Amino acid sequence: MTSLQAAFDADKIEIPLGQVHIVRDRCKGCGYCIKYCPREVLEVSEKPNDKGYYFPRVKDEDTCLNCGLCELICPEFAIWSTLTRYVKPKLIKEMVNESF
Amino acid sequence: MSPSEPKPAIGVFICHCGKNIATTIDVEELTQNMVGIEGVAFAENNKYMCSEPGQKLIHDAIRDKGLTGVVIAACSPRLHEITFRKTVATADLNPFLCEVANIREQCSWVHKDKEKATKKAIKIVKSSVEKVKLSDPLTPISVPVTKKCMVIGAGISGIQAALDIADAGFKVVLIEKNSSIGGHMAQLSETFPTLDCSQCILTPKMMEVGNHPNIKLLTNSEVVEVDGYVGNFNIKVKKKQRYVDIDKCTGCNECTNVCPAVVPSEFNEGLGLRKAIYVPFPQAVPQAYILDDQACLGLLPLACSKCMDVCEPGAIDLDQHPEYLDIEVGTIIVATGYDLIPKENIGEYGYGKYKDVVNGLQFERLLSASGPTAGEIRRPSDGKIPQEIVFVQCVGSRDPEHGMPYCSKICCMYTAKHAKLYKHAVHDGQPYVFYIDIRSDGKGYEEFVQQAIVEEDIIYLRGKVSRIFQEDGKGKEDGGKLIVWGVDTLTGKKIEIAADMVVLTMPIIPSEGIKDLAKKLKISTDAFGFITEAHPKLRPIDTATRGIFLAGCSQAPKDIPDTVAQASGAAAKAVIPLLQGKIELDPQTSTVNEDGCSGCGMCEPLCEYGAIDIIEDPSHPKKKIAKVNDALCEGCGSCAVACPSGALEQKGFKSDQLYAMIDEYLTEEDKTCLKTKK
Repeated sequence: MTSLQAAFDADKIEIPLGQVHIVRDRCKGCGYCIKYCPREVLEVSEKPNDKGYYFPRVKDEDTCLNCGLCELICPEFAIWSTLTRYVKPKLIKEMVNESF
Repeated sequence: MSPSEPKPAIGVFICHCGKNIATTIDVEELTQNMVGIEGVAFAENNKYMCSEPGQKLIHDAIRDKGLTGVVIAACSPRLHEITFRKTVATADLNPFLCEVANIREQCSWVHKDKEKATKKAIKIVKSSVEKVKLSDPLTPISVPVTKKCMVIGAGISGIQAALDIADAGFKVVLIEKNSSIGGHMAQLSETFPTLDCSQCILTPKMMEVGNHPNIKLLTNSEVVEVDGYVGNFNIKVKKKQRYVDIDKCTGCNECTNVCPAVVPSEFNEGLGLRKAIYVPFPQAVPQAYILDDQACLGLLPLACSKCMDVCEPGAIDLDQHPEYLDIEVGTIIVATGYDLIPKENIGEYGYGKYKDVVNGLQFERLLSASGPTAGEIRRPSDGKIPQEIVFVQCVGSRDPEHGMPYCSKICCMYTAKHAKLYKHAVHDGQPYVFYIDIRSDGKGYEEFVQQAIVEEDIIYLRGKVSRIFQEDGKGKEDGGKLIVWGVDTLTGKKIEIAADMVVLTMPIIPSEGIKDLAKKLKISTDAFGFITEAHPKLRPIDTATRGIFLAGCSQAPKDIPDTVAQASGAAAKAVIPLLQGKIELDPQTSTVNEDGCSGCGMCEPLCEYGAIDIIEDPSHPKKKIAKVNDALCEGCGSCAVACPSGALEQKGFKSDQLYAMIDEYLTEEDKTCLKTKK
């Protein structure tokens, strides 16, 4: 794949920023949302919920793209995301630096 | 020979080839030696047998002496066999009763001793006489032609070739591996030497291709398999899924707006961004979006599908799979274009290490009005306008140690163009050009370069750059300049330039996958992967395989005018068989003696061309026999050599002919020696 040397047109690009909502007590700890999240937004919590399951929690708030896969995949309807706003992608700087 | 057949009357015609043959071989002695050989009715020599008087000599001798066969002792049959066979045919003798004895490449050119060379030439000609005595008259095989052409690659060369063929009234299938046609020319800002905008002259042609009733455009597609032969190629094409229905897409851009996945833009050479669902550039043909399934958040399981939700015409179909199409065409044009050498190859100039070191194509994108900076020249690291800019020519071209030994041809010109355009945009800026020689060999090119040097105040330095490195940027606003170390060989002085930006002219290499494609098409490539032409001077558009032609940078580095000219040439060549409607193939194919064939099947896997099938013998139901498809057979002779029962023979090279040649060539002494060894 082409590596990114500069992102001159970055100001023209916007991506959605999502907010993840988790109902921790509904979670049964299957881990699907953590495993399948394409941006690896989630991680396993340190402490279990009241039922004794290790529920997901947000690792980095700024990386959710509101794709909605977690909502689709959760068997317990315990997680979903909503659109906060469109933002300039935070990742671009990292993308440039990774290439060099 | 059966007694009923007439006695052979062979004519031997010996060519001096100017001095080429006559200096090393005593042509008179050779001629005298031919007189009196059994079956030889006539022997003569001429200074140039291929000239009109030479050909007339052959023609008249066949008529007057009633010759039954002809031996021409001259150059390699590769050069003039067809010429002489045509001459023989004008005298109503079957052209396959004409044999060329090669006494130039295989004798006079490789020997110095005239006496010995003459002796060898006598042997060569004599053995050819023995062969032609046993030759059979043959008739060329005539096969019908599919009146359609395939053009592989839709850059400027493929576009031009496709348009010319389509305008001539024939159907064209244009295959392009990317999602839009246009190739590298679509990326360029302005073109030398007239500085007209590349997009402005290319886009109308792209539109014409998209709308032409005779052109079937297959983008995002590649050739998988090629079968058949001139006039009847069967090509399997893989049409990769686009995930967007071209006919339904209106180009509204809603899908791109909502797409959350961002990756570097290939079209902008990594100087800008694009989404996972995108249109590569605004003027793309076909004007439809494409989903990059590698960049998408995920299709299995379907992660996001926001694009599908917002697409009002319902053009997005995320369940698409690749399609395989079988296409029959008569001729093929290869116009696969070029790439630049990967940056990893050029380490000492810091490309891939320092952000402000870019290649020629990247600089084109910075100059282009449709580029990521909208035509403003800004450097990648901090977006500032470079005040001092260094262009380095021959970076890896004409440099066998680091890159390629050949000249990439266009760099001298586009560097002059880049420096000029930079000067037009940044009036107080200073461009420097390091060059070895300036090669400006096109119409108006030298004037263009001279104007750059004399009128535009561009400093040309004759010499190579040894190293480019970044100075320590601590405490400096611009993060440290790029220090270019070089030498000016005209003054003999070392040069050090502290530059804001460096542009490297990287070598042109054949586009990725060319060797693979060449293998499928059974055409050859040179050491660098460029497609080899049939003859560097006289057949520069043909490949060695009949019916396959080439255009543009698939053959060698070329500028746009040369590419367009060659593409039109290739189109004209590719139309010839389509106009003829049928094609004559060489009848010197393999033939099966059905009584001798045991159906062992040894020949079948040996045939490179799939011309042999083992079938049930129609006259003996339990027996199998080999069957040769004359149209597919290339006459290589592999099967004839392998056949254990001698049932397979190649017409024109039958076993008895070859044994007669060997028998004539060997002396009695040789034969005794061979016998005792046995």
